[in-house]
Amino acid sequence: MITAERKPISEIKEMIAPYRKILVVGCGSCVAECASGGEKETGLLASAIRMDAKSSGKDIEVREMTLDRQCVYEFIDQLNDVIADYDIVLSLGCGAGVQAVAEVFPKVHIVPALNTTFIGQTKEAGLWIENCRGCGDCKLGVFAAVCPVTRCAKGLFNGPCGGSKSDRCEVDPDVPCAWQQIVSRLQDRGRLDLLRKVHPPADWSKQQGKGPRKIYREDQRS
Amino acid sequence: MTTESRLKKILQSGKFAVTAECGPPKGADPEVVRNKGKILKDYTDSVNVTDNQTGVVRLCSLAACALLRAEGIDPVLQMVTRDRNRIALQSDVLGASALGIRNILCLSGDHQSFGNQPEAKGVFDIDSIQFVKTVRTMRDAGEVIGGDKLATPPQLFIGAVENPFADPLQYRATRLATKVDAGAEFIQTQCIYNIDRFKEWMGFVRDNGLEGKVFILGGITPLKSARMAEYMANNVAGMDVPDEIIRRMKSVPQKEQRQEGIRIALETIQALQSIKGIHGVHIMAIEWEDVVPQIVQEAKLFPRPQV
Amino acid sequence: MDQKSAGLNLTIFFCQQSDPDQDANRRSIEKEFGSRVRFFPLPCGGRIDSLHIMRALESGADKVYVVTCPEGACRYREGNTRAQKRIAYTQKLIEEINLEGERIELITLPAGKPIAIDELARELLAREASVGPSPVRVR
Repeated sequence: MITAERKPISEIKEMIAPYRKILVVGCGSCVAECASGGEKETGLLASAIRMDAKSSGKDIEVREMTLDRQCVYEFIDQLNDVIADYDIVLSLGCGAGVQAVAEVFPKVHIVPALNTTFIGQTKEAGLWIENCRGCGDCKLGVFAAVCPVTRCAKGLFNGPCGGSKSDRCEVDPDVPCAWQQIVSRLQDRGRLDLLRKVHPPADWSKQQGKGPRKIYREDQRS
Repeated sequence: MTTESRLKKILQSGKFAVTAECGPPKGADPEVVRNKGKILKDYTDSVNVTDNQTGVVRLCSLAACALLRAEGIDPVLQMVTRDRNRIALQSDVLGASALGIRNILCLSGDHQSFGNQPEAKGVFDIDSIQFVKTVRTMRDAGEVIGGDKLATPPQLFIGAVENPFADPLQYRATRLATKVDAGAEFIQTQCIYNIDRFKEWMGFVRDNGLEGKVFILGGITPLKSARMAEYMANNVAGMDVPDEIIRRMKSVPQKEQRQEGIRIALETIQALQSIKGIHGVHIMAIEWEDVVPQIVQEAKLFPRPQV
Repeated sequence: MDQKSAGLNLTIFFCQQSDPDQDANRRSIEKEFGSRVRFFPLPCGGRIDSLHIMRALESGADKVYVVTCPEGACRYREGNTRAQKRIAYTQKLIEEINLEGERIELITLPAGKPIAIDELARELLAREASVGPSPVRVR
């Protein structure tokens, strides 16, 4: 999923300060999974904003709503009946969600409550780890399902580097060396042959694009 | 250009090579580089210049190599893939050759988080092995990545590094084989304190059929103090400093520790000379370049042969 | 000054395993103090959620207590440790809006002693007030 973390309240307060009527909108997908922007977190944030306003004698109106997904127009449309009553939308969606809502309602001021971070997995309760950088050219089949682009700090395709020691990355002893993992797994499967040839340079244009990338499917268009 | 790589000539003639490292200054003064060059010139076959080592901004390797070249030294241009994309790397390769630099060492580089620019974007467009292959293709096929032709190919003797002390141990020799396949002609290793482990690695190297396929120079860094030994053991990634070495350094009073460090270095050089498949020594006495003449002399490797 | 005399509103979330007669025991307090002391039984202390605490504070609680079973005595094993973590999280959150973290307090019952929830409530009311009325209800 896409992971995100709530911005400090002080930063959020600064963004909503000029406004009186605030619509706080959560998202029930990725950010709910990583406990940063789901219905519960939306409730927590709205509660904190209301309490803060009361404590400082500010008169504000705060409403909470959570959409199943903030990045899909069909769900965003649910805001139609409500949005006109508010001055600002405080979105707990990921960056994709915030911008998608902004496109549907371009006249409404919308601000992000979260810092969107990475694509990752829920490894354990309360622990999310990045494992994909959306390079657009997946090579997990060659690297025993350990992504070198994401999990090797230097993005090596012919690793490991000279700093790999005791299975740890030189950058942080808490970070496993991805290349140690790749080599071990391939060794176990008897597929070290996959590493024998020099892996060529990546086509980074698939990740960078020329501006924002897009996918277009004629068969899916209405 | 009629300049040739002295390092290549020495290695090809079967003589035991001596290279050393010159660390460029954190500043723009060319005299610093020239002075280090003067110290090292007669005691080495070639001099490496490091490339923003540990991610700290220093006078660039290319410029420093050009300065050394002008002093009649045969420099080894170290280039890391951390800071430049393939356009810049290939361009600098052409520039190096144009400046008469005849040796290149291709590395990935220490991660940018270690240096004084931890917020910099680590480029890593290509890795060290892809870079070796790129330079080899530029030189031998006159082509850049993608196949476009070069009007004049660069002339460079191509090297890479290997760390026999990093994990996974056995795989290191396989990786060396891949580097050789990519086109590496010489290897300089990470500095050696654990000679037994090094010999073990060399065994794997020979088992992989690499003896005779690539010139290997063993790395040496003389220890200045017991504290340095401990620091390297605990804080430098991929370093293997046996307890015995630390004990030796601690067993002498502080003002004699440099001498002990030199003694250990000399013993290591002697051991290297008797290992099959080792063709030279690479002395990395960073910020202690003036110890190199002493070491080379006491190791009976002075004067350097004529080629 | 004790919390009772200070006129503080207390909200008490408590593990219902700790007082099987909690339903009856609450009544005397509720009669005497009305909405000033509110009780919320939980199936386990570990079921406390940050949101419950926030809503309690938002509705005018000056102090929120979360009462859990003694160490090692949780019927569901980790309930009390879980409660601790969630309380810590909520304390950090309210500190970001300038409310004192100590407005939320974890009470781990001592082992071996059964308690009646009304006794506990009186004990809490008798404690020295370390915070004043919440700025959320009084400016």
